Parts: sequence; structure tokens; C-alpha cells
Amino acid sequence: MKLLVCIKQVMESGSEIIIDDSRHGLTYSNVTRFEINKYDEYAIEEAILIKEKFGNVHIDAITVGPSRSGDALRRALGIGADEAIHILDETKGYRPPITTASWIAEVAKDRNYDLILTGIMSDDEMNGQTGPMIAQILNRPCAGTIIKEEISSDGKTITIEREIEGGAKDVFQIDLPCVLAVQTGINSPRYPSLSKVMRAKKKTFDLILAESLKKPGQQPKLHALGFPQKMSHGIVLEGSPQEKAVQLLDILVSKSLA
Amino acid sequence: MTENIAIITAHDGKNISTSTWELYAFAKKLKVHTTADICFFLVGEDTRKLAEEINSRTGCPAIAADVPNTGNYHGEIYKKTLAHLLAEHSNDYILAPHSISGMDYAPALSIILNGSCITGVEDIKAEGDVLYFVRAMFNGKLQADMQSQGVSNSSPLILTLQPGAFKPLQPNKKLSPKIIHGRFDFSEDRMRYQGKLPSPSQGSNLAKAEVIVSGGRGIEEQENYQFIEMLATIFPRAATGASRPICDYGWAPYKKQVGATGTIVSPKLYIACGISGSTQHLQGIRDSRFIVVINKDPTAPIFQVADVCIVEDLIKFIPILVEESQKRKTPKGN
Repeated sequence: MKLLVCIKQVMESGSEIIIDDSRHGLTYSNVTRFEINKYDEYAIEEAILIKEKFGNVHIDAITVGPSRSGDALRRALGIGADEAIHILDETKGYRPPITTASWIAEVAKDRNYDLILTGIMSDDEMNGQTGPMIAQILNRPCAGTIIKEEISSDGKTITIEREIEGGAKDVFQIDLPCVLAVQTGINSPRYPSLSKVMRAKKKTFDLILAESLKKPGQQPKLHALGFPQKMSHGIVLEGSPQEKAVQLLDILVSKSLA
Repeated sequence: MTENIAIITAHDGKNISTSTWELYAFAKKLKVHTTADICFFLVGEDTRKLAEEINSRTGCPAIAADVPNTGNYHGEIYKKTLAHLLAEHSNDYILAPHSISGMDYAPALSIILNGSCITGVEDIKAEGDVLYFVRAMFNGKLQADMQSQGVSNSSPLILTLQPGAFKPLQPNKKLSPKIIHGRFDFSEDRMRYQGKLPSPSQGSNLAKAEVIVSGGRGIEEQENYQFIEMLATIFPRAATGASRPICDYGWAPYKKQVGATGTIVSPKLYIACGISGSTQHLQGIRDSRFIVVINKDPTAPIFQVADVCIVEDLIKFIPILVEESQKRKTPKGN
């Protein structure tokens, strides 16, 4: 069985966000740190769990991004992916999900993956489009917000639980090959192991230049980035923690809430 | 030929969902900048009544398709049916809710229909002839103005609307319904519905609680959830809740999860402690009457919905708050 896990490198959560002069992207400094999109970590873990269960499973990790995003692939190898594919795109500015999805689909097309896994969205741009788009381009069934999966013993179908609004779950049986976007909490992502990290250091990636792939025709553009204007309408309490506690209790009493 | 602003109707088979009326409000705002007409599309197992309701209330055309085995939502059937219905009509814009199902079919539709897709839209801005669709990034810390050039019926723009971004517009005209209703058999063999499992929050006390104290990643470790429980004790009857990440970490059970994928709450008082405020959490608390936020990060998006903002570390602040509360409850002179 062959699995493909799609990952994205994003800025470490909590990093300072600085919009660049063009207002199309962000400015990174030498202190900016990057990590694997946390939603994708669940996808990597799920792939490894499948491999541990079935044994004869090969996991490729793929990313689209500049050379620094190779660090995300190296980490994926350190966690347990077998091979890494880097679609190298050094162009600055916004890359819409349709471009990312088209490129991944083009690369995946002839590699016969039984299952393609993604996170449900990225921490940074939060589009949530890449997985469903890859599926549609490759004409494969797709489901998102996956909270449980089980591949049948004959390897032909996968039964999934898909979280819906309110936390209930729809259960579907889907034919393989298919694309699944996994929800957080499906598993507990592990840390890289030392032996795998050492091995990952020596590994070479399958490097594909983005220029060699087809760019989709119709794509949305990012006009400008900004900070939201709507700041809180609420009262900001000032003073020492004690003073704030007293003020809060007074407010709650005045509203008959305490 | 007049072009359409197509609204994909969200419903549960019996009732039209609020998000549909939010889409209608959004469509009205979009219509100001275009010459297009609003038109509703429905997919389900038995849609005639719902289509009639929409048409008679709004006066807009309703195009409905009954497809067996659709259930509440079947991705493959939805994509096939919508692609078929939408291709028969001339649409510039296709609007869907940014719900779990909308997020599933909208990106796929944009590929089938050779269009483009912008998800999680919160507003429209117009500068001259150019329309910008505003959406959040970085968990609401950034805002992006998106644009799609060359929107036309041969290359429509598919938008998903963030729930809560628009006030639902629920007209109540009483027209005699004129709908286009059809039956299709797009039974899809690649994906088979097997049933539904209940939410872990089913039967929890959160949905009806008047006071809820919730904790998020700011508790830093599992044992610090006791601070949330401690704060709850200062109210006569308060329930404790949790954000999704700490449920994912196993620090709190999923039945305590507040948010769109947990319990939607509507207490008189909601106290969010160490919760940054992801979109799905904010969706779950927006009917709270009064919101107090305790968070050490002053840029946390949850402050945007707070009535009272307290920039403090919950681990230090909650014991002080509980102590002050107890001082008041102890009669003076004792």
C-alpha cells in the first residue's frame, strides 16, 4: 500500500506577524521559526499508524514551498515517513490552494497512491481547500474532518468517521484510492525518534521544480493583507490583579451574574 | 441572459438552516455590486417543501433536486448533483456556508465548474468596479482582501461564508411558490453512508448551563484544569467547559468541548480562560449574553468578542479572583 501525506510548513504559532511592504506577504526575520502545520501532524501520525498496522506500507511526504520548507519534510522523515517529495517554489507572495493542489495532483497522478492524507486546513491561511481540490483533480472520492479510519483487510475500502456540526459523526465506507482530510484529535502525534532523525539527515528529497509543473488558469488573488480593525467592544480592566478581580466581581454583581 | 448569484441551501431535511439566511443577507450585499439575480439551489432526499418555503418567502427562484441516499450530507452525491444543476443555469457567483459540508463540496465544485474558490469569507468591500472578499487568516489575527478576476458564468467564483459574519435575513413574503423540482439518481458507488454516531457532548449540561467557565491551552498542563473548576465554584451553578485543543490533548473529555464541533452554548455568562478563540470556538459561544475573557496574550482573537477583557495569566489570576469572591461571601466582622 502506498500513502501520500501532504504537509505545509507554517510560522511557529505565536510568532509575531509582520506584513511586508507589498502587503501581499509577511516579513520573516532571522528569529522567525517554522514548524509543520499542526493539522498535518495528525495526518503524518495517521499514516504511520496505518503502516504499523499493515506492515507493507510505503509513506511519501510531500510539500510545496521554498527551500526552508525542506525542514518540514526532514521532520516528517524523522517521525516515520519513508521518502520525501519537495515541490520547490521560491516565488514570493500568495500561492492560492488551487496552485498547491494542482501541483500535488500532477505529481501524485502516476504514483498510484492508495490513500492521500492532508490536514483539514493550515494554521496560517486557513483555506481548507487543498485536500478536496486534490481529490477532485484526480477524480477520487474525498472526505474531511476524519476522526477515525479503518482500512479493510483486503485493502479495497476504508471506513471513516467524519465529524459533523455539534460533534456527531457520519460513518462512510469509501473505496480506495481516496483522499482524506483529518481532523485534530484523531490520534496523538509522536515526536521524531533519534534513529529516524539520523537517517533523515542523509536522505535526499525527490526535488521537483514548481516551474516544471502546470499552473492553473483561474486562481484567486490576494489583494492586500491587514490587521483586523474590529477590536474588542469590551471594557479592558486595568490595575493590579487584585484590582482587576475586584472590578470584575463588581461588574458581575451589577449585571446580576454573581 | 441574466446571471445568477446561486445560494446553496443548507438544511437538515426538515428545516432551512440559519446559515442559509446568512447567505441570503450576503447575497443581497453582493447583488448591489452586480446585475445578477439571486437563485436558491437545494439538494436532499425530499426537498419540495423546503424549496416552496424558500421561494414563497424570498420570491427568488428555487431549484431543487431530490436524490436518494443523500442523507443529511453525502459529499459525492452533493458534488455531482450541484455540478449538474449549476451547469444548467448561468451563475457568476456560487455561495455556500463555511460549514463542514460547505468546506467539503465548494473547493471541488470550483474545479468541476472551472471557477475559483475563496473560503471563509466575512465581508465584501468594493473599490470602483472591483470587489474584494475579506477573510481571516492566522486565527483571526490577520485579514486578507481577496480578489478574483474575470468572474463570469464560464468561470464562476465559489465563496463560502463564515457563519455569524452576516446577520441572517429571513424575509416573510407570502407568495405562491413556483419552484423547479427534479429527481435524480446520482447514487454514488464510491462512497456509502453507514450511519450516524452521537456526539460525545450529547446529554451534557453545557447546552443549558447559565454560567460556563471554560479553559483552553492557557492552562498549560492537564492538572491546571483545576483552576477552571475552582473558578466555577464561585457561582451557585456553573458548568465547566473546554476548548478543542485541550480535548485533543486529552486534558479534558470531549463532552466538555464548547464550539461548532462540540456543544453550542448560550449561557448568561461565559468565562473563557486561556482560550485564544479559534473560529469554531467563537461560533459555539456567540449566543452567550456576557463574555469575560482571561488571557495573557492581549492579541488573542477571543478578546474581539469579550464584554470584559482581563489580560492576565489565568494560573495566577484565578486564585486571586476566587479569594476576592470568598472575602465578599464571608460576613464582615467574623
